[in-house]
Amino acid sequence: MKSDFSCLFAGEAGYGVMSAGSTVAKAAGRNNLWTFVVNEYPSLIKGGLNTCLVRLAAEPLQAHEEAIDCLASLSQEGMEQNYSRLQPNGLLIADASLAVDSTRLAPGVRVYQLPLLQKGSGDVAKIMSNSAMLGAFCAVSGFPIELIEAVLADEFKPEVFEKNRVLLRSTYEVALPQAAAATFPLPFSQAAARPMLINGNDAISMGALQAGCKFAAGYPMTPGSSVLTYLADNGPAFGLVFKQAEDEIAAINMLIGAGFAGVRAIGSTSGGGFSLMVEALGFAALAEVPLVMVNAQRGGPSTGQPTRTAQADLAFVLNASQGEFLRIVVAPGDIEECFYETFRAFNLAEKYQLPVIILTDKYLADSSATHPFFKTEGLAIERGKLADAAWLAAHQPYKRYEFTAGGVSARALPGTAGGRHIATSYTHGEDGFYSSGNYEYAGSEPEVTVKALDKLFDKEPHILAELEAVRLYGPETAELTLVVWGSTKGAALEAMTLAQAAGISVNVLQVVYLSPFPAAAVTEVLSRSRQTLLVEGNKTAQLGGLIRMHTGIQIANRYLKYDSRAFTPSQILLKIKEVLA
Amino acid sequence: MSAQDANLAYVPTWCPGCGNYGIFNSLKKAFATLELDLEQTVLVNGIGCSSKIGQYINCYRIETLHGRSLPVATGVKLVNHNLTVIAEGGDGDGMGLGMGHFVHTARRNLDISYFIHNNQVYGLTKGQTSPTSEPGMFTKFTPPPLGNVERPVNIVDMAISLGASFVARAYTGNMPHLADMMVQAIRHRGFAVVDILQPCVSFNAINTYAWYQQRVRTIAADHDPSDRERAKSLAGLWGDEIPVGVFLREERPTFADSLAQLKEGPLTEQPVTGINITGLMEELT
Ligand SMILES: Cc1ncc(C[n+]2csc(CCOP(=O)(O)OP(=O)(O)O)c2C)c(N)n1
Ligand code: SF4
Ligand SMILES: [Mg+2]
Repeated sequence: MKSDFSCLFAGEAGYGVMSAGSTVAKAAGRNNLWTFVVNEYPSLIKGGLNTCLVRLAAEPLQAHEEAIDCLASLSQEGMEQNYSRLQPNGLLIADASLAVDSTRLAPGVRVYQLPLLQKGSGDVAKIMSNSAMLGAFCAVSGFPIELIEAVLADEFKPEVFEKNRVLLRSTYEVALPQAAAATFPLPFSQAAARPMLINGNDAISMGALQAGCKFAAGYPMTPGSSVLTYLADNGPAFGLVFKQAEDEIAAINMLIGAGFAGVRAIGSTSGGGFSLMVEALGFAALAEVPLVMVNAQRGGPSTGQPTRTAQADLAFVLNASQGEFLRIVVAPGDIEECFYETFRAFNLAEKYQLPVIILTDKYLADSSATHPFFKTEGLAIERGKLADAAWLAAHQPYKRYEFTAGGVSARALPGTAGGRHIATSYTHGEDGFYSSGNYEYAGSEPEVTVKALDKLFDKEPHILAELEAVRLYGPETAELTLVVWGSTKGAALEAMTLAQAAGISVNVLQVVYLSPFPAAAVTEVLSRSRQTLLVEGNKTAQLGGLIRMHTGIQIANRYLKYDSRAFTPSQILLKIKEVLA
Repeated sequence: MSAQDANLAYVPTWCPGCGNYGIFNSLKKAFATLELDLEQTVLVNGIGCSSKIGQYINCYRIETLHGRSLPVATGVKLVNHNLTVIAEGGDGDGMGLGMGHFVHTARRNLDISYFIHNNQVYGLTKGQTSPTSEPGMFTKFTPPPLGNVERPVNIVDMAISLGASFVARAYTGNMPHLADMMVQAIRHRGFAVVDILQPCVSFNAINTYAWYQQRVRTIAADHDPSDRERAKSLAGLWGDEIPVGVFLREERPTFADSLAQLKEGPLTEQPVTGINITGLMEELT
């Protein structure tokens, strides 16, 4: 028996293809299956091909596969583009009006042409087509229709639900006689607790709320915006204020104002917006204002590919802004890490008084998976050295930027008695005063400059000591070590499992924190690896370069992908075999 | 509180005779008049000669980037509306790089005062054209024979059009009046702009003390600042006669008034622990 089942729902924008996919995924998740859902859509509002791939299995999934078992299409283009993905003996469900080219189908594919597209004017008729599509899907695949009904009943108001239910059922009844008594290839059983169907951006937003974040600011840019949308919707109940700014420069500066005043704050953008924020990133670092910023990568350079994925901003975010300063860059690899690393990012930002960048990509930000509830017990808020009035009374004259052993000095928030100071974007001494050109500092500028810069970097060893900056999956030593960062983790882990099943021993090194760079930990793993394969979603092997720079180790083999789509486990497996051949 | 309380031990680095000294002293006087709690006051600066004022005043200060004082001030005010927030910077800072922020901060009407040291030139970078420079002005970047050919921005006129709820102009040659404008601006609940005419003795040979002295006229006592139309037409005057005083004063709800999240108190006082996101997780099932 096959261990997974993938269905691609395809149609023009506006026909509810993505909600059809998430309905199936929720229904499956509530019944002890695991899902992974990938949406692909062009940067268009109406028209254009939208697809939603739903992959189902009895085990947790971390990636999608290109091969599909079922294609349900409401548009000609949806079929044309995806014929070749449909596996032998697969299912093709198409609206009756479409022209199916059976010469392009794999052997054994069964074709069902049914009236799916709803006639009638207006967006409501259009979007109901997805209920017809789901009815047909249940009939021909054997997916239990009552599970779909249960989800729709929860999602819609009763009148709307009833209309959709009728259409779902009637299409199901029409399709059923044509279907060969299908049984769905995966087992269903009601789950004890309903899991979530959640994407990376939802997880980041929840992590922020759990961390006590009270302010967000930003300017819309796909795929970063949905964090802001989530916080705009759900933040107020947690006392969070979201402000849409006039541009990304304003957004990051608002966040810096909020951080200076003592509130945990987050921004979210993509590469273009992050580019505009660059000058202020250095400001946050030098003024030592805590800041958490999400950069969800999309295809680049420039406007690039708004709705497609890439891992090409790594070198940029590591180096963005003039001068030298310490920043933390964390690249969560999955939904779980999106939540917990975001929570941790706020602690790190406040403890070390610096900017933390959460680097994700469209694939992670926007793909959903079945996930149990996050465990929040034991998650502790650490605000670092905050100077209250009592502490300040005992430490006069207060020096905001006092040179200390670990580089961190006590932060007084405006409104606290005894803590008046200047926070500044100029290079400064312990009192925050400008060290260049002022009479008081005239003789000591070189000395103060060195101390001021060292102060920022003195935090580095302490940060590295507290982080689990790399993670190794699989056996301690293997024939081949895959080296990955960010969302590539999921496909790499599944590829590792596939390889093991094929008798090939593989392990996976995930670099979770890219700055400060965990050179010792990476060296430790790579120096005992027999063979190495770098798997990255960019053209110039950015992680590979970083590893070489920090460790001197050159990763022998590279699998670089920059075709605007994410890696799949099967693609990585092929490469593994090629490398070891 | 006296004006001295706001003093720091540092020596200002402005050129002798610079108008910034008058602004500095007037600001301290305004703080004293208002008996401001300096622990609850935040001065947010940009970058420029003007912006250095934050280095010398003893309240909480944040010296931001060139052009970015207003968004930083916005962040401070939104998360702690109990603070008195004052943004301050130059004409280049505010009308050049910061213009976009000026437009939107005015629309937003947060309770922030914004003092623009308008010397009609870039001082700190040693004499380039500013968005408020006079046509024909020769600077390092607009040398003879052409000089500056762009029309200057009229800060007061713009502020009124954009929706600032308090708009005034003052001149550093009349410090009691300047301090009074600052006091009124800080007292005003809403975005309060003061366009401060400030001679730069090193790089602006046109708009000198004498030049301003001849032109500056206090707005007549019978002007009603709630009369927006009248304020607009007064704002249009610039040349032989330059009005100073309060052009416009409107009582309007501030942006922060619209936020239910702030009703319980500032965000800085909201708990960051004991948060329960179970409901959010349930919504995704
Ligand atoms: C992004 C950026 N661009 C340019 C500068 C250089 N710079 C510093 S101050 C200044 C202009 C100052 O003019 P203004 O704001 O009118 O202040 P003034 O010195 O006249 O008081 C410039 C261009 C900078 N610090 N940052
Ligand atoms: S350059 Fe002009 S504005 Fe700057 S300190 Fe000197 S006189 Fe004042
Ligand atoms: Mg100027």
